Amino acid sequence: MLYLKPRIDPLTQSVLDDGALLGRLVDGLGSPLNVVLPQRVGANVAAFRDAYRRHRLNGRIYFAHKANRSSALLRQFAATEAGVDVASVGELQHALGAGFTPDRIMATGPKTREYLWLAARTGVIVNADSPAELSELASLVAAFRLPRARAMVRLSRFQSSGVRVQSRRSRFGFPAGSLTETLDLLGKHGDHVELVGVAYHLDTVELREKAVALEGCLAALDECRARGLRPWSLDIGGGFGVNYLADAGEWERYTSELAQAVLGNRPPMTWGGHGYGLRAESGTLRGSLALYPAHRPVAGADYLDKLLGTDAPDRRRPLGELLLDHMYDLDVEPGRALLDQCGLTVARVLEVRDDGDDVLVRLDCNARDVSLEEHGVLMDPVLVPRLRVPKEEPAADRSEGVFLLGNLCLESDLITRRKVHLPRRPQAGDLLAFVNTAGYLMDFTATDALLAPQGRKVAIHRTGDGAWSWHLDENYWPIHSQPEVS
Amino acid sequence: MKYDDITEAIGNTPLVRIDPEVHGLRNIDLYAKLELLNPFGSVKDRAAWSMLRPMLGDAVRRGDTVVELSSGNTAKALALLAGMHGLPFRSVTNRMKIPEIKDLLLLLGAEIDELPGRSECLDPADTDDPLTRMYRTLQTSGEGYVHTDQYFNERNADAHFSGTGQEIVKDLDGRAPDYFVACVGTAGSSTGVARALRAHGADTTIVGLVAAKSDFIPGIRTIDEVHEVGLFDPGTYDAIETISADEAIDGLLTLVRRCGTLSGPTGGGAYQGAVRYLRTIDGSLTSRKSAVFIVCDRVESYLSYLRERRPALFGRPARANSLGSLSAGEIAGAPSVTVGASLEGCLVVDLRSSYAYQALHIDGSINIGEDVFETMLSAGLPFSRRQPVVLVCPVGEKSAAFAALLTRMGHPDARSLAGGIIAWRDAGAPLVRD
Repeated sequence: MLYLKPRIDPLTQSVLDDGALLGRLVDGLGSPLNVVLPQRVGANVAAFRDAYRRHRLNGRIYFAHKANRSSALLRQFAATEAGVDVASVGELQHALGAGFTPDRIMATGPKTREYLWLAARTGVIVNADSPAELSELASLVAAFRLPRARAMVRLSRFQSSGVRVQSRRSRFGFPAGSLTETLDLLGKHGDHVELVGVAYHLDTVELREKAVALEGCLAALDECRARGLRPWSLDIGGGFGVNYLADAGEWERYTSELAQAVLGNRPPMTWGGHGYGLRAESGTLRGSLALYPAHRPVAGADYLDKLLGTDAPDRRRPLGELLLDHMYDLDVEPGRALLDQCGLTVARVLEVRDDGDDVLVRLDCNARDVSLEEHGVLMDPVLVPRLRVPKEEPAADRSEGVFLLGNLCLESDLITRRKVHLPRRPQAGDLLAFVNTAGYLMDFTATDALLAPQGRKVAIHRTGDGAWSWHLDENYWPIHSQPEVS
Repeated sequence: MKYDDITEAIGNTPLVRIDPEVHGLRNIDLYAKLELLNPFGSVKDRAAWSMLRPMLGDAVRRGDTVVELSSGNTAKALALLAGMHGLPFRSVTNRMKIPEIKDLLLLLGAEIDELPGRSECLDPADTDDPLTRMYRTLQTSGEGYVHTDQYFNERNADAHFSGTGQEIVKDLDGRAPDYFVACVGTAGSSTGVARALRAHGADTTIVGLVAAKSDFIPGIRTIDEVHEVGLFDPGTYDAIETISADEAIDGLLTLVRRCGTLSGPTGGGAYQGAVRYLRTIDGSLTSRKSAVFIVCDRVESYLSYLRERRPALFGRPARANSLGSLSAGEIAGAPSVTVGASLEGCLVVDLRSSYAYQALHIDGSINIGEDVFETMLSAGLPFSRRQPVVLVCPVGEKSAAFAALLTRMGHPDARSLAGGIIAWRDAGAPLVRD
């Protein structure tokens, strides 16, 4: 059986074990249902703070709001020491309304004049993406007599010496090679904008690329000091990752078999022979696996720890030591990693039918509600037993793998393009729970196309006496007493 | 032996019998084909020269750059061959994990391009394999190039068909070995040698060794990666077995410590894999058999790889006056000075890196980086006992350790700045640039 069993922490497991809870919620609120678990948030923040402590570093952990639009999770983060990284004027309003004071907010992303005004008016840090954005910020501050704005500049296109470490082209940032022009611009706007740090954000899992960027930022900060500026922060963005799977062996076996299926050496494992980026050319495997590395032995806070222990390519000392030597604060913006195990998405099985050799399972949700495929995360859903146990338990050998179809009238609406192996054949009325979806996989791109309703979102938490309590997401505030979850 | 050209020294490597005392096989003679004795140090010298030779004329006339997707020995051989003919060489790679090899290639004049890693936020449209990316990079650069294409170029395997394989048969007095064991990288050597042995009419059992999927052995592909290799044909091998990095290192240690053979990890893997495979057969044999494995390259380039995986191999006696010899109690009891107290008359030693010191430091302090300082202390005190000293580091931890060490060495007035330079800054005390 080619299982890809998800990694499940005790809190999520206890939700799944209480099948009646999810059943009642879906009966009442409809399918799909997004469940967020604010109780897990504190432990995730603490894990990152531990990594800071190991390297004796200070600085702020900003939760990247874009990973989930939940109010409950955002308010729970506001109740911790974390800050928030907002990427739109809507997210900035949401963060201010959730209880974040401006000193804990970083405004990133492409910016409109309205977004810049609200950021400058409230005094949050503006992480500028381009010279035009910085100039617009300065002109707004001047025109509306706003307080001097705190800004970071996001750098990109770092040069490496010796070995040329290439990175994907980025839409964002000031070219690191034109630092002189950037500093001239900051000098010109010095009355209206104060430089508090420099930033990078690379969309890669590769430590070496990040090490080049981090060292490039250190050099830029040195240059700022030579100009008499006093920025103290280096913001290294996010991209720390999550480990989704329980078992490395399953992931390795699955991807090996997938390659064999693409080469035609075994029966197909996917809808229409989809290769997830791989293809066969005269018996040789070409292309590359366009999937999230679902099993990651080093992810989240551990990845940060490893990055800080990595030697800078030029100065050949660990990056964490260099930051400490220079007295710089380290800012991070994890999204996915801070939402690890913070939620799940539940959908009802509408129909199960045989189609030739395949078993098709239609769910009451669509591919935008559970965007595993869109984000390339392969992990099995959990079959949640309802109270009504089927009389005739199908034989175990019928668990040959099923395709999960969505509820939209579209050929492409597949929840999974691959056969998913479940412990038994599901039946109409069963629930499938997709765990660990809070980071990007929940309702990131949910749509009401075809007038299909978007799933509701509830925050559930365990009260002191062990019972579950739930709120609609917008009604949850972090003011209940909650037992600590480690 | 006199040669006009170093390339004439490629090939004709010795076939050396491994002492049965070492491998313990009773019915099998095990031979090592010492490809590490090629002039550039590896089995890849043959393939590199075989592939590049027919391209050289045109490449030299046009002044092309030689390019290859290589993370190690092929790049090294091509860099040297290209250099001999006045051509630039560029290695494009996403697999180069050994720092010594990078440095060596740079020394040889090679350019190294490292390809970007996987995207954290998936872009499903981005499914290019490294080869496609390399072609795109080259096309946009607009310069002329020749690509030796080791993973698909038949001349890679041909070099071993006409060279390595024939040499083995000749050295075994015209008889092909009964077993041949090789690690699979580009599949060039195993494919070429297998063809030569079979062309000789022999019924040699060919064993290919690959790395476990999550493992890393330089020069060996994993069970999945071999399918990306054009020269790889599963039909070449009677058996494909997995070898772990641990086994490869065990084999390497046997070869270097007991066989007088300076083998790298690939050769170590081949030895260990060969012995492991042959042991299962040895007991049931009724006649004498022979087996050959390939020692691909030399150990010297893999010191950091070995240090990372087997630090105990590099154990050294502790240095005198080392920080590691201090107890937690000694460090906690180190004399300190708080921010705001007078530093008048004190020698202030800033232990941070020189870049950090140059960016901002305490006025009048001198900079001795902690590594250098610890080395200096192993020989004794670097300043007079009458000179009061204040040590400065980022948060006051390292400086406390050094203050404890200086105290133990008999310095009466060595103190640590409590809270370090960060506490100094936070208290608003002045920092300067010179």
